[in-house]
Amino acid sequence: MRILVSFKVTPDYEALREADWAAGTAGVVETRYVPRILSCFDESALELALRLSEGRTGRGATTELAALSIGGRGAEPYLNTLLALGYARAARVPSDTDLDFAPAVIASIVAGYVQQVDHSDVLLLGYRSSPGDSGTIPFLVAETLGWPCLTQVTEVEPLADGRLRVACMVDEGLLRVTLRLPCVLAVGNAVVSHLRVPTLTDRLARRNARIDDVAAADLGVDLAAELLRGACVLSGLEAIDRRRGSVIIGGESPREKARTLYDSQLKSVMEKL
Amino acid sequence: MPLSREAIVESLQRIVGSDDVITDEQILVQSSVDNFRKLQNIFGVHTMPVPAAIVMARSTEKVAELLRFADANGVNVIPRTGATATEGGLESAVADSIIIDGSAMDQVVSIDAYNMQATAQCGVPLQVLEDQVRELGLTTGHSPQSKPVAHMGGLVATRSIGQFSTLYGGIEDMVVGLEAVFPGGQVTRIKNVPRRAAGPDIRHVVIGNEGALCFITEVTVKLFPYFPENNIFLGWTLKDIKTGFDVLRAVMVNGYKPSVARVYDPGDAGLHFSHFAEEDDCVLLFMAEGAAGVAKATAEGIDAIVAAHPECTKVDSAYIETWFNDLCWGPEKITAEDERIRQTRNVNRTTEISADWSSINDIYQAARARIIAEIPDITMMGGHSSHSYINGTNMYFNYFFNVVDVGPEEETDKYYLPIIGIICEETLKRGGSIVHHHGMGKARAPWVKDEYGSSYYILETLKRAFDPHDVMNKGTIIPK
Repeated sequence: MRILVSFKVTPDYEALREADWAAGTAGVVETRYVPRILSCFDESALELALRLSEGRTGRGATTELAALSIGGRGAEPYLNTLLALGYARAARVPSDTDLDFAPAVIASIVAGYVQQVDHSDVLLLGYRSSPGDSGTIPFLVAETLGWPCLTQVTEVEPLADGRLRVACMVDEGLLRVTLRLPCVLAVGNAVVSHLRVPTLTDRLARRNARIDDVAAADLGVDLAAELLRGACVLSGLEAIDRRRGSVIIGGESPREKARTLYDSQLKSVMEKL
Repeated sequence: MPLSREAIVESLQRIVGSDDVITDEQILVQSSVDNFRKLQNIFGVHTMPVPAAIVMARSTEKVAELLRFADANGVNVIPRTGATATEGGLESAVADSIIIDGSAMDQVVSIDAYNMQATAQCGVPLQVLEDQVRELGLTTGHSPQSKPVAHMGGLVATRSIGQFSTLYGGIEDMVVGLEAVFPGGQVTRIKNVPRRAAGPDIRHVVIGNEGALCFITEVTVKLFPYFPENNIFLGWTLKDIKTGFDVLRAVMVNGYKPSVARVYDPGDAGLHFSHFAEEDDCVLLFMAEGAAGVAKATAEGIDAIVAAHPECTKVDSAYIETWFNDLCWGPEKITAEDERIRQTRNVNRTTEISADWSSINDIYQAARARIIAEIPDITMMGGHSSHSYINGTNMYFNYFFNVVDVGPEEETDKYYLPIIGIICEETLKRGGSIVHHHGMGKARAPWVKDEYGSSYYILETLKRAFDPHDVMNKGTIIPK
């Protein structure tokens, strides 16, 4: 089984001050000064892929993991980490272009990489990523590849016959599906949300592994032309007011405070139940 | 004959009332450790003796009564306020200890903007005091990473230091007076004066006592004018941390007082600065603050010093300013980190030491090399210097490891204590101090005699004199 995880490295938007959320002269929010982090759903996908691979170990099945990221050099530390964790290949499609709001371009690159380079059986990726948050990339890739796509994936486990058992969050609860390969799995709010960490020994063992740079053009994607088709210009930003009212409850003792809390805030609600 | 747990609780209830005596088993178990054995709370596996009760103290008089009771009955007391200790100072070394919690003594007593000092009860969160004085255009100048959660009493008890210490000093430079209660219930108040030469500086019996001598109930600290609009940020990348130490030394020796002066090794820099630094880069950074002319002169002086080291490459100051704006850890970051540990069993620990300029690089290199060679499952071994002085600096070792093949409760024995041991050995060998600012707690107490040498006589005599029945935080600073 060949598993590919496509992931995005994003600016840590939590590290941006409110004042930094402004459309600069270039028509983008300036994020170059904040650290980079893994997009959270992609981080789940990367760890799920490792667990999926481990789940197949010892069953006579071979599993090969690969990781792909599109963008600037910010992805390199993460790609090196993935190599140290046992990913067989780590590839980057270099792009200095802002592709945050170009899901079709991203989908073309990922699909091109699957078809022309990796020949994967399973594609795992986060179901969306900031700041575009279109949530369309998994579907666009699946459509291009002609593969089924499951979204809001929370768990993946291998079955003895080579199929996968996949859990997905749906409105009614948790849906468990058994499916044949190939497939696209778009990871949502998985219980697994953190990628494990390689030891210095792991890093030393893979120090000669190289990140493959693959040009978008070699995958049949003309970045400039694609961007022209779906150009997206930031015209303004508006903060969401998340302030909430609060009351500080006074009192001589915890008992008195609890009584005040109950009388003033909870009693009327409880009576309606 | 020691008192039974029930008898202890009954006595405490008589003193403070039953509402202020916490005996909930889960809370007691969680309070048997602090961040030194944080994995026990994260994974819910506990091995330490369980305290008999947590007592919420609401006045100096009640603290005195409680200490009188403990002293008379040989009951071990653990003083506590914000509960953010990292070195085992809040750990219960013996069963049926009582935790006296001062977090309800949370009043800012006075802010005196003319005499530039503020008085706060022990349970005032530093963030609360800082926010109040900021409204007057002032600052305490104290900004440890724990600012959102740490309380004034605990900060003084552990001889805390903040991120702006190169300008404002450590807490010992800020405290002008205080009130404390000693075993037996003796209340003492050290008055607030600019300086005095009336014998030994007795503030230092209290500052840094870590609850092993007394309970701090109130502190008065200095205030400073606050000019955030004048802050100037400076940063460079460089390949050799020794050059960074040399620059820090030159800045200090030439009399400049930046509030922040740091050099990160490549491992530690990778955690914060990988968006602009290469994988093998160290990062050197400064913040100059104060009145406009002072900040400008400080920044220009530092610029000139670094210019003499062409291997340093200047970076856009906005990188440093953005880092600076995200320095402190509130409850949300702590919760997120606990969850990361729960999932990955990858643990971040820190150990801070200090030494003179001649030794600091050797200590850093030797300890780092030994830890990588001798300790298994290390995922990052790095550090930074963040507090400099005319005669030396600190090294804040920052390291991560995976907890493998042992339960979370064994993490301290398999990884953390052996690493602390290496750092202490390499530091003591070269004449440095094994604790720069987290306190000795119980974690580093085993090395206390080597740390003090012949001056251990003074420490031991203080303990015997002020705590003759050994009821104050047994095992802290001095091993039990």
